[in-house]
Amino acid sequence: MPGISPSISAKERILTDYGKNKILEDSVPQAEVMSIASPINLILLSLFVVLVYWHFKPKQPIDLPRGPPPTVFRIYTPKTLLEFNGEDNRPVYLAVRGRIFDVSPGRNFYGPGGPYENFAGRDASRGLAHQSFDEDMLTKDLSAPLDDLKDLDKDQLENLQSWEERFSEKYLVVGKLVAEGDPEAPKS
Amino acid sequence: MADPTYIDKLDTVVADVLADWNIYSTLFAGLLAAFAIYSLVSSQDPDIHPFLLARQSTPSPIRQSGESATYRSLETPYGFPLRAGLNVKDADAPKWTSGRNGDLRDIWKAAVRGALNEDGSPSMKQGKIYTVLGRQAVEHSLAQVTQEINVIGHHLQKAGAKTVAICLTDSVELLTSLFAGAFYGFKTILVPHNLPAETLSAHLQAANVDALIAEAGGLDLSAAAKGNKQLSQVLWVAQYGNRHMDWHGVPEDIEGSLQVEVWHELVEEKKDLAGLDIPEYDPKEPAPEINTVWPSSEQSGKFIDFKSENLIAAISSLGSSLPRNQRFSPSDIVLSIDSLSRSYPLCLIMNALFSNASIALNSVAGEEVDFGLATVGVSPTVIIASSRTMSDYHDFVMQPQAGAISSFGRWVQTRTLDAGNMPSKNFFSQLARIGPTAELSLDHLRLLCISHRIDAPASSQLTTKQLTDIRVFTDARIVYALTGPGIAGAIAQTNVFDYRRKDGPSHFGSPLSSTELTLTGVSEGLASETPEGEIKVAGPSVVGGEKTLSARARISKDNTVELCT
Repeated sequence: MPGISPSISAKERILTDYGKNKILEDSVPQAEVMSIASPINLILLSLFVVLVYWHFKPKQPIDLPRGPPPTVFRIYTPKTLLEFNGEDNRPVYLAVRGRIFDVSPGRNFYGPGGPYENFAGRDASRGLAHQSFDEDMLTKDLSAPLDDLKDLDKDQLENLQSWEERFSEKYLVVGKLVAEGDPEAPKS
Repeated sequence: MADPTYIDKLDTVVADVLADWNIYSTLFAGLLAAFAIYSLVSSQDPDIHPFLLARQSTPSPIRQSGESATYRSLETPYGFPLRAGLNVKDADAPKWTSGRNGDLRDIWKAAVRGALNEDGSPSMKQGKIYTVLGRQAVEHSLAQVTQEINVIGHHLQKAGAKTVAICLTDSVELLTSLFAGAFYGFKTILVPHNLPAETLSAHLQAANVDALIAEAGGLDLSAAAKGNKQLSQVLWVAQYGNRHMDWHGVPEDIEGSLQVEVWHELVEEKKDLAGLDIPEYDPKEPAPEINTVWPSSEQSGKFIDFKSENLIAAISSLGSSLPRNQRFSPSDIVLSIDSLSRSYPLCLIMNALFSNASIALNSVAGEEVDFGLATVGVSPTVIIASSRTMSDYHDFVMQPQAGAISSFGRWVQTRTLDAGNMPSKNFFSQLARIGPTAELSLDHLRLLCISHRIDAPASSQLTTKQLTDIRVFTDARIVYALTGPGIAGAIAQTNVFDYRRKDGPSHFGSPLSSTELTLTGVSEGLASETPEGEIKVAGPSVVGGEKTLSARARISKDNTVELCT
């Protein structure tokens, strides 16, 4: 029975130890020593440490969310501009005398369903000068040279000028319109 | 009826815990309370809202392909005109018109007029100009300087000088010559004073100089005049110690073609005729140019032709880059220990004059000077220094002298800086300064303006850790600027309240309100996040309107400019 006896003796030892402790506790009255390690002191000390930590804790640097990335200025031809007519939530661009404005903030006017929807993705110079939103104001042939607007009279040019100024104030110039085949035109 | 038992139990636990209260507990509780009160009392809002440091400049909403967006200061965002001038309002101008851009003459006029009271009436309180000679400071009144401007200006105008080279150490005579040029219509060229004679001669020839103002005895005249047939006037400035000597002698080989005068004799002779009033001028007539020489790797250096408008835009934007309560005021003494032939110190000193602050000039000023020696003699509130000077001082004096006690003081002060506050002068600041800067006369110092030349060696670039140390040791806030050839003042400058620390060299904050910055040669993949490329600077303070520098820089996440190393 060598396997059992050690376990019994271990049990006995535990019992006796327990008994001794019990006896000690019973016989010796609680000593009135000032203990630095009493629970109350530990609580106070840990509170103190936490407070010091809070005070000196390095602050997390603030990271503001980044704004939208800047739009890249590009050269468009009438054909590549056509795509930006506001459909399927694409941006709305229109060209005035070679400058392309991003009029997406005014989508209700210039986008699909708006009064000026014909201009979206097109060269709007002539239409704005004539104060007319009709289809026939646009250059039909997208491969043709740009409308040179030579036949406009003084009032119409003034009209165009004031539109252009208004656009420059409100909207961003995002590109330049050149005719197809222009040396500046991007090669497709 | 479960609750009462729980409460009872809790009650006994608390009672048990409290029963252990002893003298130590009282001690700890006292400590706790004391620290809590200290923490409450000492806590304050950071000097600037953290959001303003998290995004320090504004990008344009559009960019060219291969370039980054154009970054501008928060003062003058995209779509607004960049700052071009001092907004000088003439007395006879209608009340609601916007002011003129102004020029150097308006700056001197404002300095002589003195500070204005809050209601706009003159308070008759002028700034002063000090020249620091070793341990003593000589005071000059502005009236006296005006008189000298008149004498020298009149003399050179009568002699028909069109282009005047100024080859002087930082001194009141240098300023006088600049203003004389502005009032009496001749172009001035600031030539560094310690050049070898051949280089100087080459400069004089290149710029077609017909009059030279230089230090008596500091220059070999026959070598400098060699090959300079057009040079007809030399004006010697004699130091106090050598005024008894006769400086009129001309070397034999160039005798006859040169007229030599001595500054103090000329002033003494003609001051009664010249008068103390500022000469009348027509503000519509443009002020003449000021040229400086940009030190470049080859010995000669290259000329930078600053137009009056470039300098004025820079002077104005350097002033407005500081928040209102940090700007130069009549109670300031601004000491420059960086050479006035560099445009950053020059523009700041001009801004100080315009703001009616007192200025102090030191003849030893330069890019590489001993900070400790250069600041004795006066007790400045603002010091203008170069990054080389400050990094040397930090590495060789502040760092080695900081012992255990001052390190502890420094640690506590750094916590305050990290929380976004400039530590006030207190017990810990005294601790931190034991050793490193105790012997300096920096008691009133509140601001350090440090500039880094874009083509200076990278070793002189300051790290954020060094900047923090300098803040703690000197009890002064810091602005740290990036300067480049062809850009008056600075390209970009840090926010005065930006105390943040990170690893590596410090950033340079946002562009000034007179510049805008674009990075070119940016690879498209990285264009949106932290673009990196060559610096293109544009704006009214840039010579020719636009300038591309060869150094590469990066725009970091907080929209500040960093040099790539």
